[in-house]
Amino acid sequence: MTPRRIGAAAVGLVLLVVLVVSDIPLGRVVVDGTLNGSVIALVALGIAVVYKSTGVLNFAQGELGTLPAFLVLLVMMGFDLNGTVDPEAISGWDMLGYLLLAVAIGIVLGVAINGLVIRRLVDASPVISLVATAAVFFLMVGFEAVVFLPQVRTFPRFLEGAPCLESEAGECIRQFQLFGSLVLWHAIVVVAVLAVVVVLLTLLFRTQVGVALLAASQEPFAASLSGVSPRAMSMLAWGIAGGLGGLAGVLGAGVFQQLFPGMVTRDLLVLAFTAAVLGGINSMPGAVVGSILLGVTSSLTNEAALTFDVTGWIPNPPMAAAFAVLLIVMVVRPRGLLGREA
Amino acid sequence: MTDVLAEPIPIVIHELPPRERWRPSRAGVAARLIVLLGIGAFILASPHLIGVIRVNVLSTAATSVIVALSLNILIGYTGQVSLGHSAFLGMGAFTAGFVITTLELPWEAAVVASVLVGAGQALVIGVVALRVRGLYLALVTLVYAVFAERVLFNIEAITGGGGGIEATRPGWAFGDTAYAYLCIAAVAVVWLFDWRLTSSKAGRAIEALRDSERVAASWGINVTGFKLLAFVLSGAIAGLAGALFASVEQLISPLDFAFLGSVTFVMMAIFGGVGSRPGVVLGALIFSFLAFGLERFAEAFPDQPINASATPLVAALLVLIVLLYFPGGLAQLLRRPFRWLSFRPWRETEPAGGGE
Repeated sequence: MTPRRIGAAAVGLVLLVVLVVSDIPLGRVVVDGTLNGSVIALVALGIAVVYKSTGVLNFAQGELGTLPAFLVLLVMMGFDLNGTVDPEAISGWDMLGYLLLAVAIGIVLGVAINGLVIRRLVDASPVISLVATAAVFFLMVGFEAVVFLPQVRTFPRFLEGAPCLESEAGECIRQFQLFGSLVLWHAIVVVAVLAVVVVLLTLLFRTQVGVALLAASQEPFAASLSGVSPRAMSMLAWGIAGGLGGLAGVLGAGVFQQLFPGMVTRDLLVLAFTAAVLGGINSMPGAVVGSILLGVTSSLTNEAALTFDVTGWIPNPPMAAAFAVLLIVMVVRPRGLLGREA
Repeated sequence: MTDVLAEPIPIVIHELPPRERWRPSRAGVAARLIVLLGIGAFILASPHLIGVIRVNVLSTAATSVIVALSLNILIGYTGQVSLGHSAFLGMGAFTAGFVITTLELPWEAAVVASVLVGAGQALVIGVVALRVRGLYLALVTLVYAVFAERVLFNIEAITGGGGGIEATRPGWAFGDTAYAYLCIAAVAVVWLFDWRLTSSKAGRAIEALRDSERVAASWGINVTGFKLLAFVLSGAIAGLAGALFASVEQLISPLDFAFLGSVTFVMMAIFGGVGSRPGVVLGALIFSFLAFGLERFAEAFPDQPINASATPLVAALLVLIVLLYFPGGLAQLLRRPFRWLSFRPWRETEPAGGGE
């Protein structure tokens, strides 16, 4: 173990020196990475909750975000599929209402998937359950494509319609500088929502219900002897995952300012899986830590690629970095940073 | 009960009477042969039946069948799953394109290179991901598929970037119909390989893993080693499929290998019924011809809204229905005809539980 640690420390030191010597703006990297990682974390938390309590790898977690976002968009457009949304006209409180609506829709979807599909496959192998969630994913994307057509729609951000903060020069400010990074109010809302979610989940696992959920995931038979219903716990886990999906859908669509069928899956799901493995797939704090680390890694790779001018021959450096990080974690610490030994 | 141990107990080995194997009657043999010959004739005639304009659909379907069979080796025999087979197909295809177009080597060399590259990447990923119990292979291969789609296949020097790369067919199978026959022959080769594999010692070891890793380990089977072997074989066969796929349209681009294709391949295998070659082939064929069939349906009945764009919805519904009611896939649904065709009785006569 010791030579490995020395090696890791040496590699870390070399990287640190390279980073400090190069003119990569580290402050911006950390700020941007944390903001991007927060969106990934909402998806990764949903994956971790379901995996931890039911042992199912949920391929549909991304669409538990996209579909509520689409339905909320439908409400914003006044149930007119050809309508448009004026982001300026939506106040922060309205947006909060839409966010809660998305959470409610997500919970309904999650509970429905659990009841209609997952509960019937309790005895099936993990591969069968994974394929079933993949089929649910295709159903949801298909539904989105049929109803909302395969086209890109604009999606509003938080606080775009909020009153401007007047600067001294009298301009309207809707974003502010932090370590050289232009931070949108929307990103601050994302981080705040993530913080609230983490606090709520922590509190939940202090209550009897939360302990029952953990018990059912660790030792289902013993838990059922103590009066914990595995069915109810599965429903609870999928409900939580659905609610988290709703948050990820509306906030993620806001970050990209657009929405199209399958969007959260395409842009966030794979990163969230990577982050979940990075943090430890059976650990919820791990999902958050892994996501933020992955976010920082992505923005670092982006800045590094720009600084060292390699964007020409390495397409999409953040994705390459994500895969490299995953391989390194699988080699060095397969249970993830905060995961327990399987 | 005095002195049992004094004398060695005579061990008498009774010669078991040769077990009466069920044989079909002469008429039964004839009927089975006729049906099998009919299926064979239908397969051989299929490139002509589908017509030369659409024969490439058949060639593409054959490559999907090969990928599904390669997944069958992995899922059916080890219980692990790969969500990276679209990348494996793409690696095979781009290797073929690179060897044929950039290196200007013959098509046969491209096939060999594709198979080797397919096996090599599976070896690297498998060494990393298969050491850990659980579905980590699925996660690592999924991220690999996205990495390949968005990074590897877009490196212009190797893959030609968005414009793609050409992969000319071999001179002896240049026509569309001739190439379709080549693809069908490749399916047959993979089928035979899989069949011989499952009846070999390594094949039996791999199958023992699926039933119980612990029991297999207690028999002295190197669990990780054989899982890796199954994954490497799967990767090699997917590489072969890639080489064949590259020359169907003779031009490939990164768009052909979106990571969601991996999920579709896994759904084909599960829908057909992993562990059963005929089931997996049938599943892959149904999925491959779904878009084609819906298109024909829309042409025949122009007034209804269903057309080829509904393919993912229909496919997902099919998979869910089959999984919820027949967890063994089509192979479970069709077990009686499959049994009958393999010269066994139509009805189940073996002890209960031997449904496979």
